[in-house]
Amino acid sequence: MALLLVILSGMIIGIIFGFILQRGRFCMNSAFRDIILLKEYKLFKGVILILGVSMIGFSIMILSGVLTAAPKPFTIVGSILGGFIFGIGMVLAAGCASGTTYRVGEGMIGSLVALITLAVGVVLTSLFIKPAMAGILFPINDPTTKGSLTIAGAFTPIVMLIIGIIVIAILSFKELLPSIKEKKSANEPVLDFSNIGNKMFKTPYPWWVAGLAIGVLNTIAWIVSFYIAQRNYPMGITKGWGDLLLFVPSWDLFLVLGIVVGAFIAAVISKEFKIRVPKDKMTLVKQAIGGFLMGFGAVLAAGCNVGNFLSGIPMGSVGSLVVGICIILGCWVMTYILFMRNED
Amino acid sequence: MVDITETLDCSGDVCPYPDVKSKRKIKKMKSGEILKIIVDYPLSAERIPETMKSLGHEVISTEKEGTAAWVILVKVK
Repeated sequence: MALLLVILSGMIIGIIFGFILQRGRFCMNSAFRDIILLKEYKLFKGVILILGVSMIGFSIMILSGVLTAAPKPFTIVGSILGGFIFGIGMVLAAGCASGTTYRVGEGMIGSLVALITLAVGVVLTSLFIKPAMAGILFPINDPTTKGSLTIAGAFTPIVMLIIGIIVIAILSFKELLPSIKEKKSANEPVLDFSNIGNKMFKTPYPWWVAGLAIGVLNTIAWIVSFYIAQRNYPMGITKGWGDLLLFVPSWDLFLVLGIVVGAFIAAVISKEFKIRVPKDKMTLVKQAIGGFLMGFGAVLAAGCNVGNFLSGIPMGSVGSLVVGICIILGCWVMTYILFMRNED
Repeated sequence: MVDITETLDCSGDVCPYPDVKSKRKIKKMKSGEILKIIVDYPLSAERIPETMKSLGHEVISTEKEGTAAWVILVKVK
């Protein structure tokens, strides 16, 4: 009975997450990469919005005593090296951990290959490589709380709440207000709920819909997984895929399986599901290497782009912040090498 | 009916190859020529027209043709 609840709650949250990811074309590899490659910031704004919403959601839950903060550890070598290698890997794999997962549901074979090597990388690294590196992976803890290092120690939840409110205020002021003004001057309704079924199931979501929805879902996922599966963390991807290879029936595993199912449903409804294989077989090799590097990096960094970026940073974890910055740097270095070096 | 000068088939290509390939291709084309881009990757189908517009080219049409296939026609500036 308990396992059934774990399976159901993990799958349901996963299906919703996968659906939003597919409709929002939401991938953090694209979000970071396109800042330098295409000078395109929509998905990045979506990432910032998720952070803002999660900061507010997490802080309210922590301050009201519903949940206890569980920030990820900061290890100098693990966070820097793991994040950087993860960033390199996601460019090669053509998708971050969540992006690769949802694209499997769209029928992209290259992403399936990357996902398999990611799972292998997670298992091999956590069983053999990480124990061998134990000597240099010591965590740097907060001197006062003795827990993982956070940006403001005991005051972190309240500081994150304030930062979250500022982030949302800036985004609303800079992005929402101008678009409302534009619509008003064009005499269009500000919020158009006509044809809502079509909008939910058939048309792609704009960045702010995907960002808002994922931020709220991330908070709900933490509450649900804690009270149903005694798992004290918001969403994450890599652990779930490692657990698939190890046959561990964890909440994380059903979350990632749910993402594939949710993305599949979204893709079928919008007529975007198709089995797609890259013509150039070298692409598959690159994706396989990228997947493995992501798995390796995520274990060293104690999480992927979701576990560290979307869940760890809003909790004020210094480790996650360092990992996040290093993921972006790794992504930019590899993007430059692969796509920009020979351009004039 | 437009006269298509060249066709770029990005079927099966992963992110961001369709975007990068179409940018590279259009650089080598002459003003007034028409490039037909075929993509089956949703994000690129939305982003390529935007990128082309921001580069100053004219996007003649973006059509969804069947399941997960889009045809984008661009006139080189």
